[in-house]
Amino acid sequence: MAEESDFQIGSFSYPGLADVFLTRAQKFIDYVLDWGRKNSLWPLTFGTSCCAIEMMTFGATKVDADRMGTLFMADSPRLSDLILVSGTITKKMARRLLNMYEQMLYPKYVIAVGACNVSGGLYHDSYNTIEGVDRIIPVDVYIPGCPPRPEQFMDAVRVLQRLIKENETKVQKYGRYY
Amino acid sequence: MADIIDDLKLKLKDKISVLYSDPKEPVVALADKTAIKPVASIISKSFDILFMLVVVDRAPKFELNYLFSRYSDDKTITLRVVVDEKDYAIDSICSVFDSANWEEREAYDLFGIKFTGHPDMRRILLPEDWPGFPLRKDFKVTDEIRNWTGLDLKF
Amino acid sequence: MGPVHPSTHGVLKVVVDIEGDTIKKAVTEIGFLHRGKEKLAEIRYFSNYYPIVDKLDYLSALSMETLYASLIEKAADIKIPERAVYLRTIFVEIQRIMSHLLFIGAFGQDVGNITGLIWGLRERELLMTLVEEVSGGRLAPMYMTNGGMFYDVPKDFGDKLVDILDKIEKKLEKDYVAMFQNNELFKIRTKGVGVIDSQTVKRLGITGPNMRASGITRDLRKDQPYLAYDKLEFDIASEKEGDSYARFMVRVEEVFQSIKIIKQALRLLPDGPVVTKTPWLLKIPPKYTFVRHETPRGEMSFYLVTDGSEKAYRLKIRSPTFFSIRALEEVLVGSKVADAVVIIASIDPVMGEVDR
Repeated sequence: MAEESDFQIGSFSYPGLADVFLTRAQKFIDYVLDWGRKNSLWPLTFGTSCCAIEMMTFGATKVDADRMGTLFMADSPRLSDLILVSGTITKKMARRLLNMYEQMLYPKYVIAVGACNVSGGLYHDSYNTIEGVDRIIPVDVYIPGCPPRPEQFMDAVRVLQRLIKENETKVQKYGRYY
Repeated sequence: MADIIDDLKLKLKDKISVLYSDPKEPVVALADKTAIKPVASIISKSFDILFMLVVVDRAPKFELNYLFSRYSDDKTITLRVVVDEKDYAIDSICSVFDSANWEEREAYDLFGIKFTGHPDMRRILLPEDWPGFPLRKDFKVTDEIRNWTGLDLKF
Repeated sequence: MGPVHPSTHGVLKVVVDIEGDTIKKAVTEIGFLHRGKEKLAEIRYFSNYYPIVDKLDYLSALSMETLYASLIEKAADIKIPERAVYLRTIFVEIQRIMSHLLFIGAFGQDVGNITGLIWGLRERELLMTLVEEVSGGRLAPMYMTNGGMFYDVPKDFGDKLVDILDKIEKKLEKDYVAMFQNNELFKIRTKGVGVIDSQTVKRLGITGPNMRASGITRDLRKDQPYLAYDKLEFDIASEKEGDSYARFMVRVEEVFQSIKIIKQALRLLPDGPVVTKTPWLLKIPPKYTFVRHETPRGEMSFYLVTDGSEKAYRLKIRSPTFFSIRALEEVLVGSKVADAVVIIASIDPVMGEVDR
């Protein structure tokens, strides 16, 4: 007796064919969605200090962020899917960062900008800074430098686009509630 | 410049001693911390603002350097007071120099010196429930503090 | 409002109590960028503290470096060569132009004029490229050192700089005037908004362009000449009104004065070495040292207490914006919420310096 989900043509039945079909379709839809997502990243500019100025240069004329679809338009975490954590995060700021990250909608990607957010950097022995923002939120791409050049931001966005295409970002690999 | 120091000496006699008599940046030491308010009001006649308040931890005592400045020229005067370990408290000079408000809050925040009579004695840079006073010499930056993410802070 | 609202220029948080659209009470909250720099000064050697000084006021890193270098030189009795004095003057003024251009841009953005931001950043980029060519760094150049600077400028530095300055001057005289000063909307948004009178300035201890916009003519470059300022001719930019428009105009005028200073200093620039050789591990005898300079945001000063070792015993940083943003608590009361953004921008706070 054939199951309900089996695909039947006449008297023949192909068990599992519907699953294959659906998976294929799902994959195709995912591919299209990821294509869309990677080419229209809307970053939330979480600029706290020095790196934020270079982030502004990244958005301005010389190194234009817009040509990669990264539009600095979303001022609200609800509208954006990428958070650019640029600038030192202190212990007072940590909960605000987590708050912002939790408000963003699925799927969300994180770029940690600058030495402070990669590993603590210049302030590794300070009493009031977080050594690496990956202690609080999952990070996809790290940009080293103190502060990094605007071109490095562009490179990071390219890397993130590749990761999204290859299904390698943290949110794609470990799921929604990572 | 000389007249204000003379004025101070006349009013407070042996409590005042001149440590460094540069014509532009004299340093005056005050032996009795309870006299800070009258001294500040004498200084306020010729100086406009508290330029900065430097607290130095000379364990177990604290040394407070009040640096006053004015808008008409580049002269400053430094007043040096010692706060002892009994209560870490001194009178606030907020009512005389309004610019001292946040400087005193910062001194309370980082060193734990209480300014009695201050209108708004809260921490300014660190969260309200931050443990300890970080700029004291006996505060060591340990791994425990470095690895703490601060997510449990209520403030 | 804040601390990550894009209009607050960094992580400044202002708790406003509103009734309708009018602000009834405003409380500023700072400390979101407190990185413990004063404690780090007690851990690092004197010569290794430069990168941290860079990030104090990150829009004018070279001014901070010069200030810290003069502090160490005053404390350790190092005399710097004449060429280094002039080069420092030039770089401090370049940094002032860069900082004010970013202010003009960011102010434009907050008034609702995003073209202003793009323009400001575009003109700033010219100078940024030059600084990068000389020092190797963009925002944090790490150019100054104890006793002078690390390396001399390239041979064509002067010509390039004059070219860039001419370009900026022309833009400021034509394009920016059309964009800002002759723009009726800009005037409506800024004139009479956020007035700080001279009494408030004197009471709160505000210095820098915010003070000069309120009718107090004072500039440490004139009153207490440091570097090569006593040999250079320039005027103090000053306005009477004390509103946001006056604060904007003071900064625009200061850019012109800085261009004038740089052109004179380039003409007077002597030949010779740029650094007095000093040991990397300096030991400073026990004493108190106090230095203050006129940075783009006001009178910044360092107070150093040493105990004879290679590290500072205590370093206190006096930040000008720390005093300026206290005025927000009074100025914002009675203004509209939309104007609050303009008022905060006109104070030009940099939180790296406020929170230290």
